[in-house]
Amino acid sequence: MPRPWWVSAIARLYPREYRERLGDDLVDAMLACVARERRGGVWPLLTGVRLLVDALTTFLPGTVRSAPSTGDSLMQSLIADLRHAIRMLRRAPLFSVLIVATLALAIGANTAIFSVVDAVLLRSLPYAQPERLVTIYEGIGSTMTAGFSAPDLMAFRDRVRSYDGLAAFRNAEFELSGVDQPERIHVARISASLMDVLGVAPALGRAFTNAEDTGGQLVAILSNGFWQRKFGADPSIVGRSVSLDRRSYTVVGVMPAGFRFPSPGPQLNNVPADVYVPISFTRIELNGFGMMYNNSVIGRLHAGVTAEHADAEARTIATRIFDEVYPAGLRENGFPQLIATVTRMQEDIVGNVRRLLVVLLAAVGVLLLIACADIACLMLTRAAARAREMAIRTALGAGRAPVMRLVLVETGLLAALGGAAGLGLAWTLQRLFLTSISESVPRAEAATLDGRVVVFTALASIGAALVCGLLPAFESSRRQSSGMLKESGRASTASARERRIFGVLVATQFACAVVLLASGALLVRSFARLMATDPGFRGDRVIAASTSLPATGYPTAASIRSFYATLLERLGAVPGVTAAGAATDLPLTVRERRAFTVEHPPAGVDGSGTIANDWVTGHYFEALGARIIRGRALAPSDSQTSEAVVVINETLARQYFHGDEPVNRRVAWGGARNHGPWMRVVGVIGDIKQAGLAKPTEPQTWQPWAQVPDAAVANNPTGIFRSLQLVVRSSVPPTSLVPAIRAEVRRLDPALPITGVQTLEEVVGASAASQRFNATLLGAFAGVALLLAALGIGGVLAISVSRRTQEIGIRLALGARAGDVLGMVVRQGMTLVLGGLAIGLPAAYASTRVLRSLLFDVTAHDPVSFVAATAVLCAVALAACAAPALRASRVDPITALRND
Amino acid sequence: MNAPIPAHWFQILLSLADEDRHGLRIMNDVLERTNGQMKLWPGMLYRNLAKLAVDGLVVEIETPAGAESGGGRPRFYRITPAGRRACAAEAVRMAGFVEAARRKRLLKA
Repeated sequence: MPRPWWVSAIARLYPREYRERLGDDLVDAMLACVARERRGGVWPLLTGVRLLVDALTTFLPGTVRSAPSTGDSLMQSLIADLRHAIRMLRRAPLFSVLIVATLALAIGANTAIFSVVDAVLLRSLPYAQPERLVTIYEGIGSTMTAGFSAPDLMAFRDRVRSYDGLAAFRNAEFELSGVDQPERIHVARISASLMDVLGVAPALGRAFTNAEDTGGQLVAILSNGFWQRKFGADPSIVGRSVSLDRRSYTVVGVMPAGFRFPSPGPQLNNVPADVYVPISFTRIELNGFGMMYNNSVIGRLHAGVTAEHADAEARTIATRIFDEVYPAGLRENGFPQLIATVTRMQEDIVGNVRRLLVVLLAAVGVLLLIACADIACLMLTRAAARAREMAIRTALGAGRAPVMRLVLVETGLLAALGGAAGLGLAWTLQRLFLTSISESVPRAEAATLDGRVVVFTALASIGAALVCGLLPAFESSRRQSSGMLKESGRASTASARERRIFGVLVATQFACAVVLLASGALLVRSFARLMATDPGFRGDRVIAASTSLPATGYPTAASIRSFYATLLERLGAVPGVTAAGAATDLPLTVRERRAFTVEHPPAGVDGSGTIANDWVTGHYFEALGARIIRGRALAPSDSQTSEAVVVINETLARQYFHGDEPVNRRVAWGGARNHGPWMRVVGVIGDIKQAGLAKPTEPQTWQPWAQVPDAAVANNPTGIFRSLQLVVRSSVPPTSLVPAIRAEVRRLDPALPITGVQTLEEVVGASAASQRFNATLLGAFAGVALLLAALGIGGVLAISVSRRTQEIGIRLALGARAGDVLGMVVRQGMTLVLGGLAIGLPAAYASTRVLRSLLFDVTAHDPVSFVAATAVLCAVALAACAAPALRASRVDPITALRND
Repeated sequence: MNAPIPAHWFQILLSLADEDRHGLRIMNDVLERTNGQMKLWPGMLYRNLAKLAVDGLVVEIETPAGAESGGGRPRFYRITPAGRRACAAEAVRMAGFVEAARRKRLLKA
């Protein structure tokens, strides 16, 4: 006899003494059972399960006498129940498909969201002993959190005791040349110690040495993706060179696949790099006290040191650094106190998205609950329709337990099918979901449908089976056999008890639906408010692109200025272009914040503070379509030789000049006592958002790029004055200008890559992307919830009407009008809906508070959203009631009565 | 009088009453006699044979010469006098019930 592999596998589950003593007898007996069951028409799968249970019960103590017979009969009845359930499903295919599809949708959504929650929140970071990794931030004054400046990092490293190692990193962009098409790539400058601190090692080659870091050696480590993309995963890459910013870097290593660093999520230095180079602080950086707070610092704590302890230490040391190391001039000039704080790295990376993910998981959980209530209604209805069958079973001696078991096996089978379909659906949903969140949610790319997720799906299915099945099971089993058998073959009038149960289920559904609907309405309204905010410019017909001039090709300020002057002039001459300008940063993404002071501030106004600044050239304001409120915009006549000027925004005018005329007043960079040269205010520009649509407008200045000193243009360590964002307004569709812009750049420098080609409308859209995502997703959940709830109430009323046909017939025969019957059914339905609202609205009121941080310009208890949610829900519920109500009103009394 | 024994013990002992058998043959014999009503499963069967042996109702014996099954040398079991008594007592107990049913005219005489 052939021996299937699974028989041998099960045989191996027996205790060793059995296997040794019985040898082949055991397998022979098992094979005989397989053959016996096959003759009886049992699926080999079921036989396998039975043999498995049989093998496992061998381990159970004390079951020897009683277990075999009862165990066997339990198993046999389960199998019989399962067969019965399959027959029932086949007999009502539409019913089965409806339930399985509903469950698949709800379980699929839960699985997809859970897989992301698991990857982002539950799994630890992919580094060695990740619980010991922390991120350390500096703070300037009590309000501003920033990275470390290079001198502060050096002083900090010399003083702390809590760490095995510290490492700094920061994002940069380099020009990659010597490949088919020059492009700008993401680079991370990293300390040599970074790999050790993270506990990772390159897959090929080696990490940086300290000498390479401090010596400023031109060496590079490639990310795995970049190595595959650009070098076809050539293993001989180590030792060869790549051209970055037109300088030759020697490749010393390649990182393993899956190493994605810096991780998205934290507030700065959050762009995964293609290439890593040593951070090699320059002399200017190392002496930059009081500026360039832009290095992220991570540390590996000594074993046993807590983040709280490290935090306390960091705060003390920051104070000491300020007192001991900072130049006296800075301290005396009112430079705010330094602070340093320590956060767990995991928290730093995923802290911002925890709220959103938990909200989404809760939302899909509620959705599943609504779906389960729907299914429970359907099962109850069917249980009622099968009351006679159940009654016969009971009369024939089946106890309450077997009847319950039968119903539970049925729902279990449905839930298993729904879960399996849901898993398939989750795969699709997850792809969709990931493409829309991978930008904004860190570590989401790690989401897979792995064992943990499958276990979650299984648990969700079992939970769903119990929620859907317990109530119908209980109800079926409590029917009295005597009463039922006496009834005629037709389904009986719903009992008061049954109506109550249906009522509770439907009301629960509507309570859940209104919570989701109110949440969705809040987010949709918040998104609408966001899109309605005025960014301060007209984004239509404007295209932006950026270029960055590497120091090797453009060593002097003159060469940089000449490049951009020529480029803007030529772009202005392109047919269709109405204005061309450039700035160091585009609106909504302004990075620069500076200390600032006003000459002779109005009485009672603190004339100093921190403001945003942007350096602009060409016809920038025209190209943006900015509003000039007073005075003039910056002009090409503002040059190095003319008076230093700035324009300010309305917010700055309001905050620092109150009602005074700001034009012709003077301002300067720095504090009140120690500031740079005065600059004259020549105009006030309408507010333009700097840090995203949802953020409040900050006070801002715009300074002519032409007036930036030559030394800064050529040598600023961040390269901010070498990379300009071109802004081109046109009278033609803006994207049609892209080839012309590329051609003009190529004419000036064929090797120079262009990046960031986007319309300003896209810039605005990107700024609202996360709100759009939240609104879309929760809006969709709310829609599905509404649909399910409508199906629930529609179904329950339809059943109720069909049960009451006779009663309705009598009413009509006794003179009730069709309108009365219609009203009666609608009233019955809407009573349940209102009951649901009575529970759901307070619940929504309590739970939307968690959305507060996700909302823009809308309170968590926004009455408009709540009223809208309630109105939509009532309208849909009314529509759902209408069909059964109309049917009831058209009952023909004669037919209804004759049918008895 | 002996305490009642489980139904499957009775059937196993009954199988061994007329001849020594190995596990597989006990399984098939019980299945046949009960018209497929009592299905013994390997784990259940051997667990109970072990238990019966502990209670002294059966013993394991040397495999008789020539009794090969499926290529191996199957283990044979023999009923003990105690087993015979327990089985008979159970049969008597059941016969008593049958007699009662007959007296109540549930069964034809």
